[in-house]
Amino acid sequence: MVYGSWICLLSPLAAAVVITLAGGRLTRRGAGYLATLSCFVSFGAAVAVFVSLLGRDAEQRSVLSTAWIWITGGTYRSGLAVLIDPLSVMMMLVVSGVGALIVLYSIGYMDGEREERRYFAYMALFVFSMLLLVQGGNLLILLAGWGMVGLSSYLLIGFWHERPSAIAAAKKAFVMNAIGDATFALALFLLIQKAGSVDFGILGGEYTSTVANLVALGLLGGAVAKSAQLPLQTWLPDAMEGPTPVSALIHAATMVTAGVYLIVRTHAIFEQAPKVADLAAGLGAATLLVAGLVALVQVDIKRVIAYSTMSQIGYMFVAVGLGAYANGMFHLMTHAFFKALLFMAAGIVIHALTDEQDIRKMGGLRRLLPRTFIAFAIGAVALVGLPPFAGFFSKDSILADAMDRGAFGYVLWVVGLAGTFLTGLYTFRLLFLVFWGEPSAFVREHFHAPKRDLVGWTMGVPVAVLAVLSVIGGWLQFAPLWHPVETWLQSVAEPVVTPTDWQEGISSALAVLLGLLGIYVAWALYAVKTFAVPRFAFAQRVLEHKFYFDELYDALFYRPTVWLAKALYRGVEDPLIAESSTSLGQDTRDLGGIVARLQTGLLRTYVLAIASGAAVLAIVFIAVK
Amino acid sequence: MNGPNITWYLGVAGFLFGVGALGVLLRRNPLIVLLSLEIMLNGANLALITFSRHLDNGDGQIFALAVMAVAASEVVVGLGMVVALNRKRVPLDVDRLSSLRG
Repeated sequence: MVYGSWICLLSPLAAAVVITLAGGRLTRRGAGYLATLSCFVSFGAAVAVFVSLLGRDAEQRSVLSTAWIWITGGTYRSGLAVLIDPLSVMMMLVVSGVGALIVLYSIGYMDGEREERRYFAYMALFVFSMLLLVQGGNLLILLAGWGMVGLSSYLLIGFWHERPSAIAAAKKAFVMNAIGDATFALALFLLIQKAGSVDFGILGGEYTSTVANLVALGLLGGAVAKSAQLPLQTWLPDAMEGPTPVSALIHAATMVTAGVYLIVRTHAIFEQAPKVADLAAGLGAATLLVAGLVALVQVDIKRVIAYSTMSQIGYMFVAVGLGAYANGMFHLMTHAFFKALLFMAAGIVIHALTDEQDIRKMGGLRRLLPRTFIAFAIGAVALVGLPPFAGFFSKDSILADAMDRGAFGYVLWVVGLAGTFLTGLYTFRLLFLVFWGEPSAFVREHFHAPKRDLVGWTMGVPVAVLAVLSVIGGWLQFAPLWHPVETWLQSVAEPVVTPTDWQEGISSALAVLLGLLGIYVAWALYAVKTFAVPRFAFAQRVLEHKFYFDELYDALFYRPTVWLAKALYRGVEDPLIAESSTSLGQDTRDLGGIVARLQTGLLRTYVLAIASGAAVLAIVFIAVK
Repeated sequence: MNGPNITWYLGVAGFLFGVGALGVLLRRNPLIVLLSLEIMLNGANLALITFSRHLDNGDGQIFALAVMAVAASEVVVGLGMVVALNRKRVPLDVDRLSSLRG
């Protein structure tokens, strides 16, 4: 079992190293197959670990395997360790499983790109980083994986490095994540100082409320940055500059879910800091509302899906902030299925329209891409959460949890319900604009059917598998009747809230009704066009500027920094440092010019100087004597 | 100690050194300058040997021998340079050989 875990972790890393070292000796498609194979090996190992964990008693399902002690200092020591417990195995399955499907899809999607080998090496590295994050046996390894995920996402978002916008997006993602990494690291420093260790076990210790609050706040900062929640959410939409499978990987299997995982993993400290946990839930609720609203006016097919990711992660934050860890993780899993599905279907659309992403130019693709339409529709329905699709089972439980949490919970509940209406509206706005009606002029001109060769195969199979999972994936847990996910995670994170059956029922009913209402409004506005789309110039402008977050950060951080740097350049560097060094050189030259005049080139002046010098010395000696 | 008083020896040595120094200072032909240098060295040698005898200590004489060896090598280099200058039709005038002016 321990070996399975290490194989799961190291197999993608091995693929990344081999692809990098082999270089031109490996064909482009060979690199893709190797990366895919390594991810499937990971998935196989994860399944093996899962099965062997199933065979154990619930109390013995946590195994820590330390390869070697990495850092020793006094009584402090931390090793390169992997933790195998129900939570990490669940994440391993999602990351390696969905990741492997996405890498397989990439073979078709990236066919013909110039730097496929580099791409697949990065993808394998990304999967490895995420596995390191979820398998890490202590907080330090978790932080290492955390940083590597940031690095891999930077490399992949900026994969098309000749596009300035891609480079800018990559840098933005990296900087935003670095803020989270910093607060995460600060929380660890505080923990090491107070508890002398970074093992997960110490999180349950007794801390003063200040320490618990600060540590939880630091961890929350990291989670918020990685999961693109308010107020560090601005990098996620820009990250759409990367290739579409990368977006799928970032949004579904890896990266953005890391924040949710972190809070569940460190729930012990959040339970000691209930204010911070409430803050997490509040931020999640704010994000799901903001992202849902902004998604209404986006015109880029991938950006709409990106905002829906932010919104869904918001639901997960609400869940884990409330202490409904199993429901948060369950939504993470189902979300991985339908979000990867939506991105991949969108990728097929983008491919079929020669890399066009503007939904205003699309339309009527239902008849041209019937199977993609079905896949996209399944993903959309699962996202909105209609029964019996996956989102219904996971999202509605989160809403029910909110009802069991007093007044604050009811606020979250109302926001969450509003979110379901928005989800229905923006998801089906996208669906109707892209697939409904008659093919637009642009589509008629640029459409070309996907090839039915190997490329079609590698892209089609993952979409089909995920479409099936998006339908049946949610049946795993149906809150009032059976809850294997909750039982499975019980030994790691006991839920704090336990909604009653009527709360589950009323939440589900309202969520489904509001989702349907959203779909109906989208239908009326964008499909049959019963009503003209209402125009509110002000609201539209605010939403199109994404609530002015970018502009705000520009004004708050970017411009003052640039202004300060320029002022320092003009006031300090130019006059003090640059000026002083040039004048130092100039003065030395001038002095040299004076001394050089002594060098007459006339032998006799030298001789005279020597002779008179000797005479002076002689006189001095005689006089002194 | 036989012979004249030590003062005479030192006087001759000083005279030789002065003549040599004046020659180096005043003459412009490098050949003569070298020659004058030799005279200076010999003046110094005479003073060394004088003191050596006067103080009954051999060190001065050994030092004089060393000076002669240096003088011989200096003449080899110096005369070689003068011959080379002459071959290149460079005017033999130290005042005009001033290309090392700073």
